[in-house]
Amino acid sequence: MRRSPALAVTLTALLALTGCGSAAVSLPEISLPQAPPAATQAPAPAAASCNPKASLRPPDELPEPGKMPAGSYMRTIQDKGQLVVGTGQDTLLFSSRNPLTGAVEGFDVDLARLVAQAIFGDPDKIDIRVLGYADRVTAPQQGRVDLVAGTMTATCARWTQADFSSVYYQAAKRVLVSTNSGAQSLAGLAGAKVCAAQGSTSLQTIAAYKMPSVTALPLEAVARPTFGECLVALQRNEVAAISGDDAVLAGLAAQDPYTKVIGPRLSEEPYAIALSKKHPEFTRFVNAVLAKARADGTWQRTWTRWLGDLGPAPQPPAAEYKD
Amino acid sequence: MTAPPRPAPAPVRPAPPATGVPGPRHAAAVAEPLPPGKVRRSRAASRLRRLGAQRGTTPGRLRLLLAGLLALGLLTGTAAAVTAASAASATDRLRDNAQPLLLEAETVFSALADADATAAQAFLTGGLEPADLTQRFDDDLERAATALTSAARRTPAEGGAGVAIQTLNGGLSRYAALVATARANNRQGLPVGASFLATASQLNRDQLQPGAEQLLRLAQREVADGYGDATAPGWSRVLTVLIVVLLAALVAVQVQVSRISRRTFNVPLVAATGVTLLLAATMAFVFTLQRDHLAGTAADGSRPIALLAEARLLALRERGDEALTLVSRSGGTGQYETDFDTAATRMREVLGDAAAATRGTSAAQMVETARDRHTAYATAHAQVRKLDQDGSYDEAVNLAVGKGTTSTFSAVTGSLDSALTDRREAFADQIGSAGRGLGVLTVFAPLLALALCVLAGLGIRARLEEYR
Repeated sequence: MRRSPALAVTLTALLALTGCGSAAVSLPEISLPQAPPAATQAPAPAAASCNPKASLRPPDELPEPGKMPAGSYMRTIQDKGQLVVGTGQDTLLFSSRNPLTGAVEGFDVDLARLVAQAIFGDPDKIDIRVLGYADRVTAPQQGRVDLVAGTMTATCARWTQADFSSVYYQAAKRVLVSTNSGAQSLAGLAGAKVCAAQGSTSLQTIAAYKMPSVTALPLEAVARPTFGECLVALQRNEVAAISGDDAVLAGLAAQDPYTKVIGPRLSEEPYAIALSKKHPEFTRFVNAVLAKARADGTWQRTWTRWLGDLGPAPQPPAAEYKD
Repeated sequence: MTAPPRPAPAPVRPAPPATGVPGPRHAAAVAEPLPPGKVRRSRAASRLRRLGAQRGTTPGRLRLLLAGLLALGLLTGTAAAVTAASAASATDRLRDNAQPLLLEAETVFSALADADATAAQAFLTGGLEPADLTQRFDDDLERAATALTSAARRTPAEGGAGVAIQTLNGGLSRYAALVATARANNRQGLPVGASFLATASQLNRDQLQPGAEQLLRLAQREVADGYGDATAPGWSRVLTVLIVVLLAALVAVQVQVSRISRRTFNVPLVAATGVTLLLAATMAFVFTLQRDHLAGTAADGSRPIALLAEARLLALRERGDEALTLVSRSGGTGQYETDFDTAATRMREVLGDAAAATRGTSAAQMVETARDRHTAYATAHAQVRKLDQDGSYDEAVNLAVGKGTTSTFSAVTGSLDSALTDRREAFADQIGSAGRGLGVLTVFAPLLALALCVLAGLGIRARLEEYR
């Protein structure tokens, strides 16, 4: 018993030694927020049969710029001070960002400028909002933009979600491939990966395409956020072809001399400006602006400015109205 | 070391008759004939019996006690050496492997985030890419590549970290190629340049940054484990038990010996007890010191480093989101602005925690500066968003990439950088002190154990001599 105090001290020291378990070090866990996921797209509602090219009849006279009738949506825009235009920024010739100036420009943007000119008397009062292909249809109805002008095809399915102006450009589906490709059309691309923008009508075309020969492998549809990213995929040999409207493909081919546009004009793609269903008076107003542009040669001049390399300006597509 | 007096190889030493405890002076080995049937026993059994028989006689008992003490002493010495060596090597691993790997993982991650933000800003500026942004982007890629190379040296090729490093290495060159193509296209005025940039950014955010994050988590786990291993918890428990048993044995032997010899103290045995106590005290002292330093390393080093690193990543994330929101021209409705808000909220929490973790240290002022500058940056960002929302896109871009906002933001990352450097030095200091003494202990502890064995041998042999 003589040594018990010493023992007690030793035991205390030893307890310190083992420390009753390992050192409990609590380090903060690094918890960064998850990166935002890629946008998903809701399937388009089933199409009712209709004439997608027929729009609302415009008034005979446009109100004077800066004097929009009270209560109209044009007046709302005039009071806001800017026309909010939804479009893309990578469709060369129609609406693309000029890398040198940073400005978004093209045929579609110029049409939107005509609308701004008619409302404000100033074509520069536009505010460009770039929309993904997937949400172009819903953006006007949600009030995020006043109108969408961006190589957008009027279809019956889309008419259920938005109003469309009269047709301002008649495009058609074709195919872009590398110059060394032997394919003459989609039929020659059995089993190949074909790219189109997410939410575009072209993506549906690829998925629905039936090979003429029953033994041929079907096409594999590849969706990218934009057609520009489809060109990236083509240049990196990730896809064999891009299916899209000839207007869009012409813009892509202009950026890459090693590509060519092939195949017959697969389907009619009437381009029109998408608007909210809530303001029919604005749709009529835009139709009046377009009618004026067709009549006074502005359409041809704009065509020549952006698409002149494709040849002389054709006749503008005739407007059709359903009322 | 004196050899323990071994029992003489007497043929058989049967147990004495169990009639009373024999006095020390009268205990003589009394041979008694074996019952005839038990002669044919196996050798092992006879050895056991012989050992058991030792308990009956005083010298036999002393020999047994001595053997027990020697075995315990040697075990304790070995355990002490192993404990010290294992703690030393685990501390070294923490210092040379786990913590540096964490820093490298963080460097890779932040370099990637910075490259993404820089590329987006260069794109926003339009026209020719400003030279300083090109330089910064190239520096980022180089930093990431260098950190990956040295991280690869610290991790085995198999296993999570090795795989993450390989994936990152491959992805990094693809990323660099995509950005180079984007630049080439931009210079020719082709909008597909923007698409290449978008593809590159997607690769960076969807694959490279998650890879870096995974590496960071693995490294973080390794650091946490490193702290646990550094105290050699298993071995120190074994050692504690051995020392307690040894001390108890020494006390018990002395009680026995003093009863046999009728002397209160056996000097060598008392000395052996003292040596054992010295061993226990030394071990306890060195380990308590190490534990203190480790706690300091965690509190002043690892914890603030983890917080500051996260803050820097979040800041870069915000800056990248801001630029990408403008690049996408979505008017602030897109995913990046939502991501910005999430990152900004978390950033404020993390900066608050970092301020608490560095209070009273030399990094406190730097963290305060970072907090203050971040608030200023958040105000500038709100202004950018307002301009963009109101349709003044060009003004919004000018404000975002302009000198004022850029220098405000640089002040955030700059002060976080200096705070990180400061804390890394604190870590290095503390962990250096934590490892001190362990190496000496590896040699010193077995020597003490040896000394106590010698003393125990001396003490008991003196008593055994009396039976010769």
